[in-house]
Amino acid sequence: MVNVLKGVLVECDPAMKQFLLYLDETSALGKKFIIQDLDDTHVFILAEVVQILQERVGELMDQNSFPITQK
Amino acid sequence: MKLRVQLQCKNLHEYLKELNPEILDRLYNHPATCLAVYRELPSLAKNYVMRMLFLDQPLPQAAVALWVKKESQKDHDECVSVLTGLRLWHTQQLQGGLQGNILNPIFKDNLRIALLGGGKAWSDEGSSLGPDRHARDVDSLDRYAMERWEVILHFMVGSPNAAVSQDLAHLLTQAGLMRSDPGEAPCITSAGFQFLLLDTASQLWYFTLQYLNTAQSRGMDLVEILSFLFQLSFSTLGRDYSVEGMSESLLTFLQHLREFGLVFQRKRKSRRYYPTRLAITLAAGITTKAASSSNPMDVAPGTVDTSFIVVETNYRIYAYTNSELQIALVALFSEMLYRFPNVVVGQVTRESVQQAIANGITAQQIIHFLRTRAHPVMLKQTPVVPSTITDQIRLWELERDRLQFTEGVLYNQFLSQADFEVLRDRAQGLGCLVWQNVAHRVMVVTPHGHSEVKRFWKRQKSNT
Repeated sequence: MVNVLKGVLVECDPAMKQFLLYLDETSALGKKFIIQDLDDTHVFILAEVVQILQERVGELMDQNSFPITQK
Repeated sequence: MKLRVQLQCKNLHEYLKELNPEILDRLYNHPATCLAVYRELPSLAKNYVMRMLFLDQPLPQAAVALWVKKESQKDHDECVSVLTGLRLWHTQQLQGGLQGNILNPIFKDNLRIALLGGGKAWSDEGSSLGPDRHARDVDSLDRYAMERWEVILHFMVGSPNAAVSQDLAHLLTQAGLMRSDPGEAPCITSAGFQFLLLDTASQLWYFTLQYLNTAQSRGMDLVEILSFLFQLSFSTLGRDYSVEGMSESLLTFLQHLREFGLVFQRKRKSRRYYPTRLAITLAAGITTKAASSSNPMDVAPGTVDTSFIVVETNYRIYAYTNSELQIALVALFSEMLYRFPNVVVGQVTRESVQQAIANGITAQQIIHFLRTRAHPVMLKQTPVVPSTITDQIRLWELERDRLQFTEGVLYNQFLSQADFEVLRDRAQGLGCLVWQNVAHRVMVVTPHGHSEVKRFWKRQKSNT
């Protein structure tokens, strides 16, 4: 029997994948969104979380950046 | 699932190819159009046209293929596709059953006229009106054209004292460069931002394409106004032409051109007009962009100096300009620090660049902007813009692309390896396979190809 699921394939680097797993485990988006963990650089997720996921990644990058210039 | 929209700027040929065949054939009824199309052809295709121009019978395709060496087969194929796409030649069955090529007869006749002379005069020169008491020289025409064009750009960035006509504001909205909510002043869109960063020639060409796309909806004859545009591009700068004999819709078109700064007309009712440099370089469109340093608008006297930006490795931008427009452009992707009478100082920061990228401007466009407007002092060094800056801007952009999303349908839990391979090969054959993992028997196909793959799988199951 073949199982068919609709969603979005995400390709990313391993570090980002761990971040996605973390978001999924802690239900930071209000629910689990990873349909299947495919390999080191691919996960299959629900289509409806794409927008909010990008915001979360943006927030993470904001936290990780420091102003490199002086005024 | 890219969230950004890239501004598509077609060149003349791409635009013409998309017109329907009937319109295209009618267009070739004017020598000016034929010449304009001809001069934009790749040189090999020009050669073909010249060889066949004075032949009145079809040439066998095999003979045409012999004109190029084997190594250049690719160029040949390209030319054939260009000539066929533009309907410059037709295929015709020869008597012996061979396939032959013959030039489009309308195009052939009109290109002959364009090259050899004869036919009707292209446009009515103002000589019949006698000398103009308010004659304009080239300098003032250049200034006028640039002023008009800048008003439009100013309007787009929302400068308070730039006002344009209803028609034009509507056109900008239709073109997707601005967005207007009812009851509010129109504001700029991400496509509009990208538009502002283009050079003048490309802006004008893009804008004209948008105008042409909507021309039919405003009851204008596309062939008529296109022919007129091509005629304009062959007119002489600094000469006056008469509006005599122009139809009603063409006169409306002329008023629009007047507003964009493509032609100068002293009064709405004036019986003569002067084409400006903008109109004359228009048909050359973006194909001349490669040689943008020779772009006449860049060096035209009296226009805004376009080399004014100094970028330092400490992320500071010094823009030696007092043009509101240029300052507004720099402010699109940098944080403004100080403003002096002749210079503004800004700083490129991660936030400002990210903001710009969120508005739909790409890192490449920002860098291109800095490079093309670099101050002569900057031009002396290589690379023109310090590589720390360009790299960092690119990195800031990449930061947003850590995740790549592809919509798809996941197939898993195959019972056997054979099943998996059959279905995978089918998906691959259809070109809709996005990702696969043989060991885990998992694959992802595009939503588009899903129905086809599903149907195949059902057939496969009933067969076994």
